[in-house]
Parts: sequence; C-alpha cells; structure tokens
Amino acid sequence: MSGWLAAACLGALACALGLWLWRARGTNARLRARLGTTSAELERLSHAFARFAPAELVERVIASGVPTRGERKEVTALFADLFGFTPLSECVDPSVLVRILNGYFERMSGAIIAHHGHISTLIGDGILALFGALEANPWQTDDALRAALAMRAELEAYNGELAGEGLPRLRIGIGLHRGTGIAGLVGSRELMQFTVVGSVVNVAARVQALTREHDVDILVTTPVRDALDPRFALRPLPPSRLKGIAEPVATFAVLAQPAALAQAETLD
Amino acid sequence: MTLRDVEWAACLLEPRHDRELEAYVRRELGAVPSAVPYFTPSPWLVRAMASLSYNGAPLVHIDYALADLVSLVVSQDSSCRYCYSAQRTVMRVHGLAEARIRQIEQNFLEAEIDPSTKLALDLARRIARAAPPPTAADTQSLAAAGFAPGAIRELAYQAAYSVFMNRLMTAAAIPVASVERMERHWALGWLAPFARLVMRRRWRRGEVTRLSPEQRAGPFSYLVHALDGLPSAPALRTALDGMWDSPLLSHRAKGLVLAVIARGLDAPRAEQEALELLAATGLAPREVEPILTHLGSPALDPIEAALAPFARGTIRGRPVQMQQRTRALRAVLQPDEVVEAVGVCALANLIGRLDFLTRLEG
Repeated sequence: MSGWLAAACLGALACALGLWLWRARGTNARLRARLGTTSAELERLSHAFARFAPAELVERVIASGVPTRGERKEVTALFADLFGFTPLSECVDPSVLVRILNGYFERMSGAIIAHHGHISTLIGDGILALFGALEANPWQTDDALRAALAMRAELEAYNGELAGEGLPRLRIGIGLHRGTGIAGLVGSRELMQFTVVGSVVNVAARVQALTREHDVDILVTTPVRDALDPRFALRPLPPSRLKGIAEPVATFAVLAQPAALAQAETLD
Repeated sequence: MTLRDVEWAACLLEPRHDRELEAYVRRELGAVPSAVPYFTPSPWLVRAMASLSYNGAPLVHIDYALADLVSLVVSQDSSCRYCYSAQRTVMRVHGLAEARIRQIEQNFLEAEIDPSTKLALDLARRIARAAPPPTAADTQSLAAAGFAPGAIRELAYQAAYSVFMNRLMTAAAIPVASVERMERHWALGWLAPFARLVMRRRWRRGEVTRLSPEQRAGPFSYLVHALDGLPSAPALRTALDGMWDSPLLSHRAKGLVLAVIARGLDAPRAEQEALELLAATGLAPREVEPILTHLGSPALDPIEAALAPFARGTIRGRPVQMQQRTRALRAVLQPDEVVEAVGVCALANLIGRLDFLTRLEG
C-alpha cells in the first residue's frame, strides 16, 4: 500500500515538475521572442539614426550611453531660411501653413540628402544642413553649393505648385560657410542631436541673413569660394559687418549655373 | 531586423549567359550564383567574383566560420540585401542556428560573442565604413588578442572582399527575390546537412605561398605585396591585371575611377598608384588634381565626366542612391560599359579599403 502511495506521490511530483518545465519553457520562449523583437527594433532604430549621426557614434550611445567627447571637423554649413514667413503665417489658415511648410521641408531635405549633406536642425522655417560632418568628405563644398542650387530649383517647382492653388510664392535665403567646428551630440537628456557647434555655423546663419540685404538667394563666404570648383559663376559683393565678427566679411552671390555643372551629382 | 525593409531598385543590368564563364564559377564555387549572368560582359569581373572568394583563395590563418561572420556583418552594414541573404543562407547551411545569427547581427548582445570574434568584427565594420579608415592602433587590440599579422591581413582582406561583392550587387540592383526566398525556405533546415557535406569539402586550409617575380609587378603591386603569403595575393594580382587589360573602358577612365575612390576613402597609397597609372596615359598629376578636387573638368570626355561622380557615389550611401546613379550612368554609357564601370568601382573600393595595410608595421 505504502509502495503504491510512494509511486503515486512520485508520479504527481513528476507531473508537477513536467508542468512547471513546460510552463517555464513557454515563458522562456515568450521572453526570447520579446527580446528578439526589442533587439530588432533597436537595430532598426540604429540603422535609421545612422542617417543623422555617425554609425559608430550611434553604436556607442546604445552600448554605453551618451558620449560627451566632441571631435574637431572641417565642415561646410548651409543655413536656409524663408523670407517673409511670419507675415505669411498670419494670413493663411494654420492647416494650410503646416502643409506648405511640410512640402517645403520635404523638397529641401531631398535636395540636401541627394548631395551628401545631412540636416542637423530645423529651426522654425530655418534649416541647418552640414556637409562633411558625418564622415570626412573632400567634396563637401561643391556638394553644399550643388545642394543650394538644387534647393533653388526645387523651390521654383514648388512655387509653381503653390501658385496653381492660389497660394503665395515662397522666397528663400541660403548662406554657406566653410570652417572648423566641434561635432558631437549636443543637447539635454530630453532632446539631443548630432550637430556642429562653432563660428562656422554662426557665420553661415548670419550670411544667410545678408541675402535679404543684397537681394539675392544664395550667398557664400571666401572660404567657400576658395574651395569651390572655379567653374561656378559667382559675383563678389561689398564686404559686410556681421555680429560677433571683428572684420567685415566678403560674400559672393551665386549666379545661374550651367546645368551640367550644377547637376553633376543630381539623382534622377 | 533583416534588410527586407531596405529600398532596392529593379535590376539595372541585363542577364547574359556565358557557358565558359559559368563553368569556371562552378569549378571555383561549386555552384553558379544567380548574380553571375548579369556580369558576363566583363569576364575578368566574373572570374574575380569567384577567384577572390575564400573558395578560390582558401584561408590560411582565420576560420571559415569567422570569414562568414565578417561577410555577414559587412553586408548588413552596407545594407546589401543580396549578399546579406546569400550569406545568411550559407551560414544556416553550415549549421548556425537562426537565433545565433540574430545575436551576431544585433551587435548589442555583445556579451554572447567571444571577445576576439567581436574585435575581428569591429575591424571588419571599420573597414567597411571607412569613416575614418582603420589605423595601426585598431589592429593592435587584435594583435593583443592573439591574431598574428597574417591573420589580421586575411581578416581585412575578407572584409574588403565583402565590400567588393556588396558594391557589385548593390550598384547593379541584382534581383534579391530568389536569394531572400531561399534564406526563408522551409526545406533549408532539412537539406542543410547534405549541402554542408558538399560545401565543407571546399573549406580546405590554404598554404602560405609566396608571390612569383611576375606576380610582383603590375598595377597596385604594393597592395599585392602587402598580402603576400595569402592565396588571395595572386588572385588579386590576376583580378587587377584583368581589370586593367579589359578593353571596355579606357585606361584613363579606369584610372580616374580608381583615383576618385582612393581620394574619397582617404587612401593616399592607392591614390598615388592611380595617379601613376594616369600619368602613363598622358594625364599629368597637375591635370588630375583639379579633376579629383571637384569631380569634373572640361578636359574630361562624356564617359569620364559621368564616371567620376558615379565612382564617388559607390564609396558610401544607401542602396537606392547608388542604384539611381547607376540608372543615370546608363544614359551615357553602353550596357557593357556600365557592367565594367560597376566592376571597376567595386574593385577600387576593395583596394582603397585595404590601404591601411600598407601603413601597418611588420
């Protein structure tokens, strides 16, 4: 009798153990699947972020948090801003305004990315794009000017579309400057971006503001002129004083370019 | 994540079967990959695809399994859907579980990869990205982990060969449906043990072989010397000679492609060699410099003018951008010339990415 009881107890124990193992296996499989999904998502994000920051930097962030180290880099900064956007925002419906703005950003970012640039920041209706920041680029200045010319052409086409809808034309000012800046992840824990800080960006922004004064759409500085393909046609303008810079800065307006030169890198 | 989300254009080349070339590839690899017929207009290129691989140039120092891992992570990093799926299939045939492959791909689960493998894969990624190119310091940690100088060179070569294959498949947008189907095929698990038997017979250990005096001369001989002792060195010599002697593009056009890619990869030794090759065609360095600085010049003919920005576009970038550039190139070049251009660019990417080897000591 006691033998039967012992066997029954052992059987029950084996059943309980089996059930526990089976459930543990199920839990394990679910955890593994969840880990796989999370890792895949992380990997997808890593690939996506590699378009906005160097791939190795993204990996370092994932592996060990935000690195505080910056790197000195030679870059070409392109700063673009819309003329008269504030008055426009007061006279069109907000939903139309957002649509106009999104259409503008879509076209401008396409032109920048097609020419090996990356968009660092959108400030209101302004765009800061950098060339040579993600990786060393010996053709960064030609790329930046070609991007600016492509932006000019894209805006012209977009204005045609806006006119068809009875909407006002957009005008753009673009400033280009080349110099050294510190590239790295900048911001707070809540909002962080890969960008370049230094006078190269400030000068590009201020040169962009000069486009209104000179009534042109694209202005470049002397370091940009010196690095550009000499076949680009430029017109020198009188030197201007820029906030925070002791000496007057010489700028050059960018004239219409032969299609073959302007589109050397354009994708179809 | 697999790469199936990566945008991939319709194929940009026309397949053309060539029995002789396909027989050569079958002898070297044991099978003819679906990509081969697209490259037959450039016979040197088809031969290089096979002879530069570890089937054609067997490994001496590193494990075949590590070479497979290198190929996987480089293809993944380059977003080459064709090579990535083909490599995953090969690894599953060799018995690697899907979960293990995922661990390796997701570099975040580093703890599960042994440290020396991780160091090797890190170097492979650096070679593939070339942003910036690896330095001697990058190889010191590998040496400390027990990798002999020959093993480091072999590892670097395997990474660069993967970049070569990635550029071929990506720039030409070789159809990926069949390789992606095969990777997911239900019967793969069942057939793998039999396929493994056949494939592993090709995993023969290579022997250290020194270059012959004839193999020590020719374009980019400094790089062939840097690989001396590896079976890949004479294979690379043959591929380089085949590329240079091929009549589909002029020496000047090929020299420009090689120089542009060397400049973009910050590969000074490769650039110097390309300049010497260009000088032999009558283009002096002072004439080449403005071309390399601005990727264009009125002195270029229409083919050269189209090739310079195309070559630059193969250095880095998303597949769809590379494929758009190949489509644009078709408007200027004949179909066979496009195949040749893709091949020269791929080989130039291999050469430039190995430039750091010439700066290593020992």
